[in-house]
Amino acid sequence: MLGAVAVELKGVVKRYHEILAVNQLDLTINTGEIFGLLGPNGSGKSTTLKMLMGLVTPDSGSITVLGKDVQKDPVAVKKLVGYVPESPRLYEFLTGIEYLDFIGDIYGMQTEEKKSRITEYLKAFQLEGREGDMITSYSDGMKQKIALISAFLHRPKLLILDEPLSALDPRSARIVKDFLQELKAQGVTAIMSTHVLEIAQAICDRIGIMYQGKLLALGNMKELRQMSKLPDSGLEDIFLKLTGTGDTRAIVEELLK
Amino acid sequence: MNWKNVLSLMQVDRKSGRLIRGQKVTRYHENRFLAYWPYWVALAIGVAVGLLARLAYNSFAATDPSSVGSFRDGALSVFASLPTLVVIYSFIFTLLQQVQRSGVRAASQVPYWLPVTWQEHTLASILASLFGLPLASVVLIAAALVVFSPFIGLVVPAVAASLAVFAAAFMASATTEVFRILQVRFIGAVYKSTGRAAVWVRFVGSLLLFLVFYIIYFYVIYGAGAVNFIQTVASVQSAAWFVPFVWLGLALLYSFTSGELLVGLVFMVVSILFIVGLFLLATSLNRRFGLYEPPAITVSRGVYAPKTGMLGRLGFSSTEAALIRKDLKAFTRRRELMTIFIFPIIIILVPLIQTLGTTGQAPPIEASAYLTAFTFLFPAAIMAIMLGNFMIGEEGQAVWRIYASPISARSLVKSKYFFIVLFSLIILAITGAVGTIIYQPSLRSIIISSLEGVFIVFALGALSLSNGIGGADFTETPRPRMIRQSTSLINLIACLVAGVAILAPFIPYMLSSTLSTFMPSLSIPVFLDPYTATAISAVIAIVLTVIFYRVSLNSARELLRKAEI
Ligand SMILES: Nc1ncnc2c1ncn2[C@@H]1O[C@H](COP(=O)(O)OP(=O)(O)O)[C@@H](O)[C@H]1O
Ligand SMILES: [Mg+2]
Repeated sequence: MLGAVAVELKGVVKRYHEILAVNQLDLTINTGEIFGLLGPNGSGKSTTLKMLMGLVTPDSGSITVLGKDVQKDPVAVKKLVGYVPESPRLYEFLTGIEYLDFIGDIYGMQTEEKKSRITEYLKAFQLEGREGDMITSYSDGMKQKIALISAFLHRPKLLILDEPLSALDPRSARIVKDFLQELKAQGVTAIMSTHVLEIAQAICDRIGIMYQGKLLALGNMKELRQMSKLPDSGLEDIFLKLTGTGDTRAIVEELLK
Repeated sequence: MNWKNVLSLMQVDRKSGRLIRGQKVTRYHENRFLAYWPYWVALAIGVAVGLLARLAYNSFAATDPSSVGSFRDGALSVFASLPTLVVIYSFIFTLLQQVQRSGVRAASQVPYWLPVTWQEHTLASILASLFGLPLASVVLIAAALVVFSPFIGLVVPAVAASLAVFAAAFMASATTEVFRILQVRFIGAVYKSTGRAAVWVRFVGSLLLFLVFYIIYFYVIYGAGAVNFIQTVASVQSAAWFVPFVWLGLALLYSFTSGELLVGLVFMVVSILFIVGLFLLATSLNRRFGLYEPPAITVSRGVYAPKTGMLGRLGFSSTEAALIRKDLKAFTRRRELMTIFIFPIIIILVPLIQTLGTTGQAPPIEASAYLTAFTFLFPAAIMAIMLGNFMIGEEGQAVWRIYASPISARSLVKSKYFFIVLFSLIILAITGAVGTIIYQPSLRSIIISSLEGVFIVFALGALSLSNGIGGADFTETPRPRMIRQSTSLINLIACLVAGVAILAPFIPYMLSSTLSTFMPSLSIPVFLDPYTATAISAVIAIVLTVIFYRVSLNSARELLRKAEI
């Protein structure tokens, strides 16, 4: 299935009153691709991801996810997608295991499958022993792990992850990274926004850099290097140059006055 | 103490009331005048009340000049009981407000890591809990007193009473602050010692606590009647002179009514000392336990065994069953939701307390038919209305989970509606059984009341759910709103109309039976027998249910499409 289109945005615009959050965005993401969405704070990444989920209605333009129109058939799309919002609020009155159980049922998983997967994931993310505690008592990182597991649990065809690595410990970040690569081999598409540039550089097939609601640059590492005319640089320098925030020295000196 | 810090902290609390779903949030601009509207309204009402009292006094004095003296005495004894009244009222109100703050920890924690002393923090917290009704009512009382008093030459007592009323509100709020901190600490200790039973200990414990407070509350506000209560307070507070909470009232009493100025002065001084003491106590408790987090509640340990569930056998999909099970846990584990279960109990108890309290014996037969209908219909109706209103809004900020999951509007409405109807019917069964035992109605009354109860539950549940979806408010700080206030008011009126419509076929019957008890000589033919009336009311209820279930579906589609948080 590689090469088929997983997600397609055409001329998408979203404004919040006078703020133009997403401005004429065109983007095509292929099946089996890991796509990284980068950009400074407030550049419209989360808004874009929410529009893919149908959680925000675009003012104009069209969005197709896995061949379906999100606005017309949202339930069918949501069945196939796993989503982690930024700083997710969970049902804190449930225990970790009750929450995952709830998720399994929501996606209509079979009992045995649900049970075995929940157990595996809890073990992988080192949450064993705490699964019977109410989520209120979890640390932010633990909550993030539960949110991630609930996105992976039903084996979605498309993962939409909004800063999935925030608050995760290095080991868990590594697990997510390796896991995404394994899923990719199975034909799962992943779109994630992140500020962890090393990981983006390491696992993303293509990277889009957003700025003020627009896509500034799009391509794999090689293409980005060419575009920014920084042939030997890493993603950090490219990012800073393209988003015009490269001259951080002057700013720091200003702050120190 | 840095007063600016205190003021700033209080402002944060006041401003946390701003977030309203659907409101414009960018380029926010606050209108200073409108922001304080409850207090302006209270002030206006207070002035109006003062002026009205003047008018009443004028006509009173004109017709019967000899009674002016006793009128003054009456006014003074009202003044003297106001502080105690305000203490009771503000204490109950602030405490209930604290309870409803729920486990949401957002925003309110910021002050803990700012360079703010515990004294400033505690003072701001005490004052901030007075925002809203307590402060508005104090403003109202003070305004009324000050406007009214010059006319009867009671300026000094009125000003003193106004100040005492402010002090009383502060006293109550400081007590609440002490309770709040102790309760957090105490609950933590209970969790630790009860282990896995903690969830149930908390549920039952909270219910009992609310029950006691609501009974007092209803007793104070509606129970004995306000006038009665003022008389009771005036006489009781002298007897209870050793209770610090009545000292403010006693200070007024001794200074102005009985003229023992010295005793009055003593009570004033000890009141002030008591308030300072409360404040210091609250501060030191805050210092010790303010940052205390209760230990985690462990609900289960050991082998994980997913439930197959009987809901599936009732025709619910796994998604719908999961939603229902989740809500069941929400209503037994979230403190602000548990309160709902109190209302039906209160509603049965209050008329009972009243009839037993005033006469000491069972109510007469004629009254018993109405009381039976009341116990069957009212608690279940209230339950259906409240659950309907809250069922969507209780999702709070976690509602994204519903939006992002493959849940159709049909499934959402079906599971939420089922929950509403199920719990309202359980309440109907319980309160109906209690009513049957207490009032011993005829079999016919029982059958008809039960059926009407079912109709009311289905129709009002659907109506309230439709409004609960349309007016859902997912804000959680400082306390979960669940529904816009305006919508819940509109819903209440709509439910009243719908309830009357469903019961309308019984109006002729009720009229004729009431008339015949008062005028037995008059024999009015009953032109609609109760069973026919029940059938007609069933048709009305079904029509309403179908209509509003449809409306709910449409609102739910809209909600899921817009996906606003
Ligand atoms: N609900 C909202 N109301 C008003 N403005 C919003 C809302 N959500 C996002 N925005 C604005 O849209 C812009 C893009 O936000 P977002 O997509 O969250 O950025 P990010 O790239 O950091 O995820 C920001 O300027 C933000 O202020
Ligand atoms: Mg974001």
